[in-house]
Amino acid sequence: MNGNENNFETVKLLLKLKQHEEPPPGYFHNFSGQVISRIRAGEAGGAQGFAEQLQATAPWLVNFLRIFETKPGLIGAFATSLCLLLVVGLFIAERSDSVPKNFQSVAENTQPTLDSVASVTAAPMLAAADPASGIAVSTNPVLSLQPATTLFGQQNPLFQSASFAPVNH
Amino acid sequence: MTMSEPAAIPDANASAGILEGDLVKRARRGDLAAYDELVKRYQERIYATIYHMTGNHEDANDLAQEAFIKAFQALKSFKGGSSFYTWLYRIAINKTINFLKQRKNRHHFSLNDLDFNTEHNPDLVALISHKTPQRDAGLAELQKKLNEALFKLSEPHRMVVVLHDVQGVSHEEIAEAMNCNIGTVRSRLFYARQQLQGHLAEYMQP
Repeated sequence: MNGNENNFETVKLLLKLKQHEEPPPGYFHNFSGQVISRIRAGEAGGAQGFAEQLQATAPWLVNFLRIFETKPGLIGAFATSLCLLLVVGLFIAERSDSVPKNFQSVAENTQPTLDSVASVTAAPMLAAADPASGIAVSTNPVLSLQPATTLFGQQNPLFQSASFAPVNH
Repeated sequence: MTMSEPAAIPDANASAGILEGDLVKRARRGDLAAYDELVKRYQERIYATIYHMTGNHEDANDLAQEAFIKAFQALKSFKGGSSFYTWLYRIAINKTINFLKQRKNRHHFSLNDLDFNTEHNPDLVALISHKTPQRDAGLAELQKKLNEALFKLSEPHRMVVVLHDVQGVSHEEIAEAMNCNIGTVRSRLFYARQQLQGHLAEYMQP
């Protein structure tokens, strides 16, 4: 390698230029003082303690955050994807809250016609419950599936059949 | 202060006449005055190493301080298997390499000015006037090119060339500080010089 060493004389000479780079004047006058005061203040201890604690407990989090430090562009991409996720979530939530179109069309089909409305109004407002069928019928277009009787044949306390008592004034 | 003299192994009997070992023992017991003395002994070399690695004064300042603070906090774990200086060097090197990994692709040079002696260094003057095709190329331009070339090297290669060719640290000490064998140091040094030679070809012409 001695031959090679000789070939690198110019490189070594150029690198000597680095030895002439000087720190700002007075740089070292207070350097040790700053180090000692930082040690005294425990500034480094607190900050590093937390960093070391985090490194020990959740190294994956530290590595994850380091990715952002090295690639700032990723922060924007990550934030954008989070926002998109939020918007999509809100959109889906709103859609699930509104009545689906299929159900709406079924409800429209089951809307009583004018004739049937007339017949309904002529009939008592509350349809009589048929305890035998166990299905309570109401004026509500959506059928109530509340059983009139419980499994043991007892009257469901939540279900009361309509009764009309004449009122004498 | 200039950094023109290559760093040699620090003399255990420094100007204060106190042995490094004694200072380390006192510092381990929490004696900040003793640690202050240790900082003063090695601050210039540690700063210079970090500075040549980062090419940035502000970063070198922060990292050098942090290296000394970390060394103080870890003094109890210092077994004395190597010299305090080598151990401190290892801390500074690790801190710098970690920092550079985080800072990747974000080079910001705030280079220190060249000292007055540079213009009077006969070797460099000869290099500028005879080896450079552009005769009027100034030292500042050469400094810029040199730093750009250095930053094209990987961190371990740059570290080896800075420690050996700029700081004057021996192969053995570099191997100890970088936790690798001497063969690795030699091969990295060879490769780094070869790369630098390629990057600085315009200044190498006869």
